[in-house]
Amino acid sequence: MSIEIQNIHKRFNGFHALSKVNLTVPSGELVALLGPSGSGKTTLLRIIAGLEFADEGTILFNGEEATHRSAKERQVGFVFQHYALFRHMNVFQNVAFGLQVKPRNERLSKDEISDKVHELLRLVQLEQLAKRYPAQLSGGQRQRVALARALAVEPQVLLLDEPFGALDAKVRQELRRWLRKLHDEIHVTSLFVTHDQEEALEVADRIVVMNEGRVEQSGTPEEVYDKPANPFVFNFLGNVNLFHGRVHGGSARIADISVDLPGHGEADGAAVVAYVRPYDIEINRTRQGSDEIEAVVRHIQGAGAVARFELERLDSREIIEAELTKERYRELGLRTGEKVFVKPRNIRVFAQDYQI
Amino acid sequence: MQLPGGTSKKQKQGTAHTRLTEPAPVRWLLTATALVFLGMFLFIPLAAVFSQALEKGAGAYFAAISEPDALAAIKLTLIAAGISVPLNLVFGVAAAWAIAKFDFRGKSFLITLIDLPFSVSPVISGLIFVLLFGLQGWMGEWLSAHSIKILFAVPGIVLATVFITFPFVARELIPLMQSQGREEEEAALVLGAGGFRTFFSVTLPNIKWGLLYGVILCNARAMGEFGAVSVVSGHIRGLTNTLPLHVEILYNEYNFAAAFAVASLLAFLALLTLVVKSIAEWKVREQISAE
Repeated sequence: MSIEIQNIHKRFNGFHALSKVNLTVPSGELVALLGPSGSGKTTLLRIIAGLEFADEGTILFNGEEATHRSAKERQVGFVFQHYALFRHMNVFQNVAFGLQVKPRNERLSKDEISDKVHELLRLVQLEQLAKRYPAQLSGGQRQRVALARALAVEPQVLLLDEPFGALDAKVRQELRRWLRKLHDEIHVTSLFVTHDQEEALEVADRIVVMNEGRVEQSGTPEEVYDKPANPFVFNFLGNVNLFHGRVHGGSARIADISVDLPGHGEADGAAVVAYVRPYDIEINRTRQGSDEIEAVVRHIQGAGAVARFELERLDSREIIEAELTKERYRELGLRTGEKVFVKPRNIRVFAQDYQI
Repeated sequence: MQLPGGTSKKQKQGTAHTRLTEPAPVRWLLTATALVFLGMFLFIPLAAVFSQALEKGAGAYFAAISEPDALAAIKLTLIAAGISVPLNLVFGVAAAWAIAKFDFRGKSFLITLIDLPFSVSPVISGLIFVLLFGLQGWMGEWLSAHSIKILFAVPGIVLATVFITFPFVARELIPLMQSQGREEEEAALVLGAGGFRTFFSVTLPNIKWGLLYGVILCNARAMGEFGAVSVVSGHIRGLTNTLPLHVEILYNEYNFAAAFAVASLLAFLALLTLVVKSIAEWKVREQISAE
């Protein structure tokens, strides 16, 4: 089922939780709502589930108006951040609940319900734990029970609120892959909320970046990562270096570097900020050309897949973060305190007033 | 005692926190003080009630509690409790459910209102009903014209008891339900359960021990209430006397053995309440720690 969100507005005591949100989730996709806390992503998810109602705007399910449908009628599966398992019911009863509350004419027989619950528990690999109570389960197990419970009613849409937020790093990674695999198997339209960019990039087909109640950008992981629409998205998806500069004759001047600004209409002298990813910082021991910045190595962290450098600009004393491959790191053989020449690649320039 | 998470900070402060408990003499002194206090103010009076009650032998004891006026008092007490406890059970659950699970205007006002019977002296509570239903009261004329008797009759006693025991169930449930949040109810709703179904299969099982605890306290107070009931009762023997009022009458007549015999019934009730209450409390704690 596809979901369409048009012009959604939501206020809480004068605070704009969501303003003019537009969003389309194509049928069968796994979409991440990514943003910092307070960006409105959970509110949006709850509005889609019918647990909260928008002040303005429309929600369409499969092109049909669903704005005023109650949570009961929407046929969505919702996985809560803290799972919200029924604490006085065991795993089996939790998963069976959605099937048992159906109206009599739609309800399956007792045996059919039992079969279905066991099938779901097999799917989430918890068959042996059917008699356990939520308090007796680990976080990862509770999470999977919550998922099985949500899937039991065969929802048209699966909504997950920070599904891996409360788990430790290792379990989180496993569950992430498992969710991706599960989605590839059952293909239910899914929307999950996260503040973890890595999680969104790894799992989702599409990422919707949200900030302060607005959608900043939506697109495939590659699109939002490689072509961020604005400084916020750039900053939120991974580390970034900032260089301040000014417009001069149609191009931006940042230190001694000149960057062309096609399509920008800024006047001469306007302040601009350039964004460069740490892995797009090139380091040389000797000057290679005029478009380089002089810096001193302040700190090197050589452990891990890449070597991380902290460099201090000689002109402005600002810190630049750089990532080099292991080979390049060995080839250079740099030590702290040495002077180097820094050359940024893939520079993205944004006007200063569009600040974060 | 070491607090989890607080250790690293504490260690930095040096050796001040390395001693984990008080020295033995201090512990003994504190425990002994508590026990002596408890004995003087709780145990000795309770023992006195029972010894006074049995002073003239078991025969006199049973005669005192089976005499017609005493039986009438027991009956009236049971009626008052039997009406007010179910009423306040329903009201308390409804109020706690509304306060803990929904947001609405005037919520804090409602909480204050629920506390009102706690903050007002029981005698004043009784007087409220005299002002309302007494002959000179607001509704007095209308009531006497229709020959409906509320004051100095059973309805007045029931009303006063309901008013006094109003907060017990709600007060017990509100914090419990608030701590449980509304996620489970939301989960039930999304899974397709209606309001009633959600209440009976999700909310109620989660609060049952807390609810029992509230009902026990409510019942104990309903049976033991003196002040408010005394004002509205009129002290008519065999008609409008509850157990506490009956004890007072016997005592004022210097019929000490009978007074203490009837009082021992209330003491029994108190002991029973304590036992059930401890069980309920233990269950509530178990439930909370299981989360």
